[in-house]
Amino acid sequence: MADISPASATTPVTHVPAWAWALAAVAVFVLYLLTQENGALLSADKAMYLHELTHDARHALGVPCH
Amino acid sequence: MTFPAFLRRGAAAGAAGGFSAALVEWLVVEPVIRRALLVEDARAARHHEHEVPLVTRTAQFGAGGVTAIVVGVIFGVVFTVVFVRLRDRIPGTTDLGRALVLAVTGFAVLTLLPALHIPANPPGVGDHETVNERTLIYVLTLLVGLLGVGAVSAVDRRLRRRATDPVRQALDIVVGVIWAGGALLLLPDSPDAVPADVPAGLLWDFRLASLAQLSMMWLVVGVVFGLLVDARTLRPQRVPQLTA
Repeated sequence: MADISPASATTPVTHVPAWAWALAAVAVFVLYLLTQENGALLSADKAMYLHELTHDARHALGVPCH
Repeated sequence: MTFPAFLRRGAAAGAAGGFSAALVEWLVVEPVIRRALLVEDARAARHHEHEVPLVTRTAQFGAGGVTAIVVGVIFGVVFTVVFVRLRDRIPGTTDLGRALVLAVTGFAVLTLLPALHIPANPPGVGDHETVNERTLIYVLTLLVGLLGVGAVSAVDRRLRRRATDPVRQALDIVVGVIWAGGALLLLPDSPDAVPADVPAGLLWDFRLASLAQLSMMWLVVGVVFGLLVDARTLRPQRVPQLTA
């Protein structure tokens, strides 16, 4: 845990590198695929399969489903 | 602490939150889903329909929990980016405190507000024809909630020089409650009616179970992230102070 030093304790990081914004965008895109994709991007049968596979989580997470 | 160090801790907190949420899903939500599927089966039997499932129930049970874990990691990553970016603006004197404020805010805006306005539904409720409209209302609810956070922090900044701390904080709460109440009143309602064969008790149990799962996710992500990034967790003698 070399990064817990007096310097890092007094000068907090507030800069988010560009790659991290890209990573967050990819993460949100995967979130969309898991919870909302119903055929807008994938072919109808692939989307249906994904929908059925993540079905219980979609209901449980409260996103609009069916 | 460098950004990648934050991100590793955020992903770990997200995995912990996702796994806790998956446990709630498997233990609390799934029994209610089973009750709902019985209602659906009875409905299909009345209409003499027989649907061949694309994915078995066992696979849906397993994959549902795995989905919750992946969603937890995604939450952790996005949480980290927002936390680091807003670290000098989130109220709180320690990183644990700030992480908890961010988690409570995220819960209120991204979970509680949509749960009140366009609540979760068990299988057997939800019209195929209206899913796009309901998704639009859902996303709109999230956006209005996020704008509310912006409105409250704008009011807070304006009052910083003009009001004492207690007055400012009380007014922040008033603005937040009025914003949320206005959103609930003015946003369009779900176009769906709940079918008559779905018992009210089942609907209530499902919505409560769904809320429990999402609350567990935010709670664990906030607490674990806060503990992992707070310098005091390992070195109790050093209290980091932000230079505002």
